[in-house]
Formats: sequence, C-alpha cells, structure tokens
Amino acid sequence: MSRLTSDPTEQKLLPDVGSASGAAATSADALATPAPEPVVVAPRPVSPGVLPPPRQLSELPRDELEHLADEYGLDPTRYPTRQALVAALHDRRQMIASLDRDALLDVIRWGRRPVTAGAGKEQIAQEIARIRSMRFSGLSHRGLLALAKMRGIDAREDDPVPVLIRKLKKKEGFFSRINRKRRALLGSLVARAVGESGASAEYQFLPPDGADVSSGASAATGKRPPTIKEDIEESGLFGGITNRIKKTADAYLNQKLDEVEARIDRKLDEIDRRLAEWRDKEIANRLKILKITLWVSLIVGVFSLLYSYIKIYLVPH
Amino acid sequence: MPDIDFFNFFRWTLAMVVTVYATLITLQSLWGWYVWLAGSDKYVGLLRRYLVVHGLRLRFRTFWGDVLICGLLSVAFLILLRAHALIHDIEAKLNYVAPHVRSH
Repeated sequence: MSRLTSDPTEQKLLPDVGSASGAAATSADALATPAPEPVVVAPRPVSPGVLPPPRQLSELPRDELEHLADEYGLDPTRYPTRQALVAALHDRRQMIASLDRDALLDVIRWGRRPVTAGAGKEQIAQEIARIRSMRFSGLSHRGLLALAKMRGIDAREDDPVPVLIRKLKKKEGFFSRINRKRRALLGSLVARAVGESGASAEYQFLPPDGADVSSGASAATGKRPPTIKEDIEESGLFGGITNRIKKTADAYLNQKLDEVEARIDRKLDEIDRRLAEWRDKEIANRLKILKITLWVSLIVGVFSLLYSYIKIYLVPH
Repeated sequence: MPDIDFFNFFRWTLAMVVTVYATLITLQSLWGWYVWLAGSDKYVGLLRRYLVVHGLRLRFRTFWGDVLICGLLSVAFLILLRAHALIHDIEAKLNYVAPHVRSH
C-alpha cells in the first residue's frame, strides 16, 4: 500500500484493464504525448454514498511520484519530466494488472517476502520490486516471467528459462553484479564469522489481517528468516547486519512477551483454582454448621422426648 | 417433677437468637455484595460474570454426602417433632381422664 496518501483509507485503483488497454500508451508514446491519459486515484468507499473527489496521478507532486515509482520498481531518475513519470507509472500498473496472480505468488514464495495469501496484485508487486536476489533456483517459469516483467525486461511467454535468466542477468548490469558479488562475499565472511548455519524451512504466507495482532510475531513465524549472508547480499553490510539485529531483537522481545504471557496465565489459573477452593471450603463450612445444628436439635429433641415420657408415665401427678 | 419442655425451649431459643442473628447477618452481607456488584464499571461487570461462571461450575457431587446427611437429619427432626406432638396429646388426655378415675 502506498504511503503517499495522507488518508489511510484511500487506495489507488487501477482502471479497468479491458477498457483502458486501448487508451494505454507505451512509454515511448507517452513521452511523445504532451498530456498522457490521467490515472484516476479513486478513494476506497468509506461509507456508501459518501465519496470524496477522485485524485489523479498527475496531480501528485514530483517527490511523491518518485516515491511511488520506487515502490513499483521503477527508476525515477530515468524519467526527466513529470509527464513521463506519470506515464511510466501508468504503464507499470497496467502491466501489473495484466500479470497472473499465481505467478506473482510464485515469486513471493521464492523471494520469501512477508505477504498475506489474500494480498492484492499491487501489494504483491511492490514486495516483488524489493527483491534483489539473482539466485533463481526454485522459481517456476511463470514466476520467472513475472519477475522479468517486473524488472522491466521484454520477456515473452514462450521464452525458456535459460533465456529468461540470461536476460535478467544482462539487465542487472556489470557494476550491479560486481557489487552483488562483493556483498555476497562479505556476507559469507560474516556468516562464517558468526557461525550461522543455512538451515531453511518451508515458506508460509503471513496470517490475514486481524488473525494475529502482533505483526512482529507473524512476520517471525510466517517466513523462514533469511541467512545473514542473504541479508548482506541483498541490503549491504550495514543494512544486512541492521536487519539481523532488528530481527534478533524482535525475536527476543517476542520470546520475552510469550514468557510474560505464560506467567500471567499461570497466575490467573492459580487465582482461579484458589477461588474455587475457597468457594468449596465456604460451602462445606456452611453445611457443617447446618449439620451440627441439626444434630444438636435432634439430641435435645430426644432428650426432651425421654423427659416427657418419664414425666407422663413414670412420675404421674 | 418440674414441667419443662426442653425441646420447645431449645427450639424457641434457636429461632429467636440464632435464626434472627444469622438472617440479619446474611441479609446484610448479601445487600453489600449486591450493591457492589451492581456497579456499571467494566471490571465490576467482568467480576460479576466471573462469579456467575464460578457458581455454574459448582459441582453437587463435591457435597452430596453432607447434603444427604442434612436431609436425613431433617427427616429425623420432623419425626421427633411428630413424636412430641403425640406425647403431648397423650399427656393432655391423661390429665383430662385422671380426675374422673380418682373420683371413681
């Protein structure tokens, strides 16, 4: 979800793919066109009948457009004018809408990004845009195709996997590759220094919103934590180590919170048990008092009966 | 022999002292609990429901022995009461018949 809108209930909606396909221009066309087709940014209906006026991409300031482009995996520096950036964003959203959702989920599984199973295409695409990994093992063909398109590669449906991988590697560029290799080397050095093992677990989607309020715990349990080597390879030395420290701190906090919760549960159980004991003891005491009263009444009754008998039959007037 | 009915005396003492005292104390305590638990505070409501749940969780089997004994003692108490009524009736009849027997 974009953070550009000030109202958290607002959501940018894609125009209808079918109807917009004719109007959608390519980037080159858009550059040539002075006023590209405006993309309507419609708000999410908060209540029926109350709809704020629609916002358009072209109305957004340049910095917000750049941020949005960055979230969609576009390089905003490649677009010198606002119109070109808006057109590129429009094209990118059209392209995302045309992608197969299952293919996008394949990429998410492969990249181990924290996404709910019911997430929308745009949200999934934004997560995919953050994936920088170049290790494509385990990624399906359709996922590879979707990833290639997300990275701005002109990939076709019938392109075999080796061709797609070659195109992706070609797209990465020489310096980026060198930097990635350098980070991977650094990551493996750090991983060896801290003695981390590369054990992995099966990927799981995050639980849906509302199923678990502790997002940290969800994220911790929802996916296999990447190794420090992968962290450093993807985010650099400091970024990787910061991520790792953050995750370790999160895990520690979650563990402590669980312990505190378990302790509170134990205390509550203890209180409950003691209250039940106290209740039973009180009732037993009341019954005991009643029993004693009845016994004394009976004894006095028997004694009184004997006294009356003696008085009537043995000692008559 | 002095004409004393111990059972009557005991019963009246018990009724006048113990029952009145116990009833007053119990009513006072119940009223205090009612006023406290009738509050509209969130936590008082929570406690109210908790007490209801505790009451529902009470098991008869825990006290069934004592309850049975109390029931049997109550039955014995009623039988004794009936025996007293009979013996007092006999006494009244004897007192009525005695002067006639003496005169004959």
